[in-house]
Amino acid sequence: MITGSEILLDSFIAEGVDTIFGYPGGQIMPVYDKLVDYTDRLRHILVRHEQGAIHAAQGYARVSGRPGVVMVTSGPGATNVITGIADAMADSTPVIVVAAQVSTALLGTDAFQETDFIGLTTPITKWCYQIRRPEDVAWAVARAFHIATTGRPGPIVLDLTRDAQVGIAEAGHKKCDFIRSYVPRPKPSAENIVKAAEMINAAEKPFVVYGQGVILSGAEKELAEFLNKGCIPAGTTLLGLSALPSNFPHFKGMVGMHGNIATNVLTQECDLLISVGMRFDDRVTGKTSTYASQAKVIHIDIDASEIGKNVPVDLGIVGDAKDVLTQLLPLVQKRDRSEWETTADMYGDLEKHKVIEPEVFPESGRIKMGEVVNKVAEVSGGKAVIVTDVGQNQMIGARYSRFAQSRSMITSGGLGTMGFGLPAAFGAKVGAPERTVCLFVGDGGIQMTIQELGTVMQEHTGIKIILLNNNWLGNVRMWQELFFDQRYSSTRMLNPEYSFIASAYGLKYRFVEQREELDDAVREMLFDDSAFLLEVHVEEMGMVFPMVPPGKSVNEIMLNGTDWFEYGE
Amino acid sequence: MENKLYVVSAYTENQVGLLGVIANIFTRRNLNIETLQVFPSEFEGIHRFTIKTRTTQDQINRVLMQIEKKVDVIKAFSYVDDEVLMLEHAQVGAFLAAREAEYESDK
Ligand SMILES: Cc1ncc(C[n+]2csc(CCOP(=O)(O)OP(=O)(O)O)c2C)c(N)n1
Repeated sequence: MITGSEILLDSFIAEGVDTIFGYPGGQIMPVYDKLVDYTDRLRHILVRHEQGAIHAAQGYARVSGRPGVVMVTSGPGATNVITGIADAMADSTPVIVVAAQVSTALLGTDAFQETDFIGLTTPITKWCYQIRRPEDVAWAVARAFHIATTGRPGPIVLDLTRDAQVGIAEAGHKKCDFIRSYVPRPKPSAENIVKAAEMINAAEKPFVVYGQGVILSGAEKELAEFLNKGCIPAGTTLLGLSALPSNFPHFKGMVGMHGNIATNVLTQECDLLISVGMRFDDRVTGKTSTYASQAKVIHIDIDASEIGKNVPVDLGIVGDAKDVLTQLLPLVQKRDRSEWETTADMYGDLEKHKVIEPEVFPESGRIKMGEVVNKVAEVSGGKAVIVTDVGQNQMIGARYSRFAQSRSMITSGGLGTMGFGLPAAFGAKVGAPERTVCLFVGDGGIQMTIQELGTVMQEHTGIKIILLNNNWLGNVRMWQELFFDQRYSSTRMLNPEYSFIASAYGLKYRFVEQREELDDAVREMLFDDSAFLLEVHVEEMGMVFPMVPPGKSVNEIMLNGTDWFEYGE
Repeated sequence: MENKLYVVSAYTENQVGLLGVIANIFTRRNLNIETLQVFPSEFEGIHRFTIKTRTTQDQINRVLMQIEKKVDVIKAFSYVDDEVLMLEHAQVGAFLAAREAEYESDK
């Protein structure tokens, strides 16, 4: 017989956990005490704030495909991870949060550091469970890993009462691979696969929009084969980025609000929209009533509740993206649709001329964010893992980064959580230590979780932090400029002296203001594997274009502050 | 689209907290629950919820999908109030048998 705390740690090991991101406190102390005996098998990373732990676990999970594990104390420790749980829910990220809870006798008494954590997290978890007895620990952990990692992945909360930690029970972990009420990998309907193939074969102008589902199901190769065979152009959502290499011939860019012109216009010109592993978020669709309204729509997703939720579909296929694409592949005819595909290239050229070149290769004025992102892509050879925070740095980071392999873009998409970037970047580096991890972050976002520089220091996590400092909450300022008569309400920010912060945390640091220094600075940053803070003073009033303003159709695109995209330009 | 009184019927595992989980699916969409019952179903260890609410067919479809998405929910159905509750029993029985068979054959 061993304690529930030991059962918990044994179960982690049995489930393949190597790293825990966490922070101790009163109620979780029995587990932390046992952790001392497990240091040879479990690495515990002590963060500086519990929000850092969960975003790090998300970064770890997104880069590695393995679930991230978080351990925190009850009450404030637990409530501090809520933002990250909601983020993981929105972005289908497998994380398991073990939060301590007061002893069962005290439940419901407003005991010290008691919160109703199950009540608080029920709407934002895939599954949550309060463990009241030591004999339930192994069962709950096994179930948590099964649920978090299968089907559409998501966050799990285990609310671990003190009794369950200190009580004793039989040792032994049994993996869970079956829950009768839960069908993680529904078999796609053979009939619908045939129908889909017929629709695809009959289409003259098909267009694929894919999302993170392709990455989560490991369907990158199948997607590429599918596009090659049918000669079909494709666009990605923000979270689908890196599933296909940036130079893949049928890859035409990102869709949505700050996506590429070609992909947004193709959405409105295709005769068949095939969506794979994505959920038609409003940042993707713009005005839904006109979205691809000329086209037939096939929606492939593992989550049945997504089909028809936001956009009406002609054919829904519930299934894992890899299963569905594998079954579709032999039925899809080899076709040459290069004439249709060149439409995309035409819009691509227009965007290059009107938007990309002025952003990436400006001849005068302050450094632009796009230049920095492009320079990092160039020097890293597109091989780095790109992590972003939220705001302009995120959109520019997504637009101008280049990707050579999957699982290389880590960003907070569905929730748009500022402060995500720094902890997610060090979590990603822990999950993929052999890779270069570059973070693009704004001066607002870095200050939301800046305390995690302490973790970077303590763990020697060699992340490359590229601070795109514009002295504004840039994205909000941009919206104030465009949609609120340039009334800049609370978006101007007085910044600290970041060089002092860097030296306080023992980080290498370089400041760049002149265009001529950028290349050398990026090379210096990427030269070795140590943590580096590169602060670039970028254009203060920078904008992100193209832009589909909120509520507009995705082919109503602003090219800059005054010009709109028009056909035939 | 026309508002009608719908009956939602859901078969679930007997887990603490599911009432809140299911009720929340309605409240999040601002749907008023007119009546609600939870009781043991004809299947051992499986509970049945019946919930009446006034809404559209589209919305009820979404609600059903969200209910079925929950890990501990086995199946959910909906009816316009005056339809007869039928077929559910057979469908739940068939689903459980199929899952058992799948489990057995996996082993
Ligand atoms: C936690 C949180 N609070 C507020 C926002 C709203 N918001 C979105 S972008 C943004 C500005 C970000 O500014 P900064 O971090 O400097 O990045 P920039 O846009 O300038 O690149 C704000 C306030 C948010 N997304 N997340």
